[in-house]
Amino acid sequence: MPAETHVQQDPLNREAIVEIVRGLLADILGIEPGEISEGQSFIEDLGAASMELIELVDKMEQEFAERSVGFRIADEDLEDLKTVRDAVDYVVDRVSGSN
Amino acid sequence: MLPIALDSLGGDRAPGEILAGAHQAALEGIPVILVGPAGLEGCGDLPLIEANEFIDMDEDAAQSVRHKKDSTLVRAAEAVRDGKASAMVSAGNTGATMASALLRMGRMKGVKRPAIATAIPVPGSTPTILLDSGANAEVQPEWLVQFAQMGSVYAAHRFGIANPRVGLLSIGEEPTKGSPLVKETHKLLTVAKGINFIGNVEGRDVMTDIVDVVVTDGFTGNVLLKALEGSMRTLINALLEAFSSTPEYQALADALLPALLPLYEKFDPETYGGAMLLGVDGVCIISHGSSSSRAILNALRVGKDLVDSGFVEALRASVAPPA
Repeated sequence: MPAETHVQQDPLNREAIVEIVRGLLADILGIEPGEISEGQSFIEDLGAASMELIELVDKMEQEFAERSVGFRIADEDLEDLKTVRDAVDYVVDRVSGSN
Repeated sequence: MLPIALDSLGGDRAPGEILAGAHQAALEGIPVILVGPAGLEGCGDLPLIEANEFIDMDEDAAQSVRHKKDSTLVRAAEAVRDGKASAMVSAGNTGATMASALLRMGRMKGVKRPAIATAIPVPGSTPTILLDSGANAEVQPEWLVQFAQMGSVYAAHRFGIANPRVGLLSIGEEPTKGSPLVKETHKLLTVAKGINFIGNVEGRDVMTDIVDVVVTDGFTGNVLLKALEGSMRTLINALLEAFSSTPEYQALADALLPALLPLYEKFDPETYGGAMLLGVDGVCIISHGSSSSRAILNALRVGKDLVDSGFVEALRASVAPPA
């Protein structure tokens, strides 16, 4: 990323990442963030359809690419992301303190 | 108005029929911008947004949109998002069209789930809007209420229907009939504000003048749509066969032709250009995969009418969450 367009941001802690993921998911599913807990599965508990999950992945990539240049969720990893916690842990591993 | 972005490679008969439809539209004064590969033959003097990848009809919708960022579908949706086009039209992969529109144009604020709205012809009257005709296989009662709301705005803008009558597809008129989903939705629609709910309707009512908007889940809606299309095709083929079975019948049929042709045109899906993806932040028209130049021309006409009538703004106001 060119230096002039890079905005330095503080590293995200796990709690902040949880809030961001819940916010994105709530926006997509049309529910309140407070209705979403880490242990819930996207499909069985939250009723997300495949298109919503791809929307989530797309929004997470946009959101976290600002924090970690080139952040991307690999296709081969997608099937392992079954719960909100899975998604948060995935981001934590790649974004927290990586700036 | 800004031009309408047309996916030049989408459809079984692309690019030939697609480009032919674009040129006919341009002759009518509808601004069109093609989306296709550099050096696409047959563009003439129409402008082109370069897109050098193509999403095939049988490709996985979400994955292809994720990976083929230079595809005609993705570039067309980006053109609307970026203010280079006022609408997009594609006869390509339906799922990928939906995914492109959703991911690039975005979902309208307040929309729970986008839905596909299809115009079903009604003899002697305005068409019935059927939604959802394929976007959401499983739905919740609140989503169906919003489909009713969006379908009403669409019916008003597309066909000039004031206070459209909304019916809930079920297996009987009584509120006690139907699945738990239908019964719960009936309760919500009965008290919903701004929706002219007339109660349950049955499959046989869809092609009649008793209802303007029919709401159902995307699985049922798609089954109904395909059943209607198949029935119409079978009926027309059977009639044509009967008409040509003897010289006498053929002569009588020829005499009836002036009465039959307008009916045929009314029942031809190409007359309506395509289905509309409601709930994304812009006009997105999904045309049939087998679209001819006539279908594309009609889709572009519909796109222009919707843009000119301020449909997106009206829909946005209708679904906006309370401040």
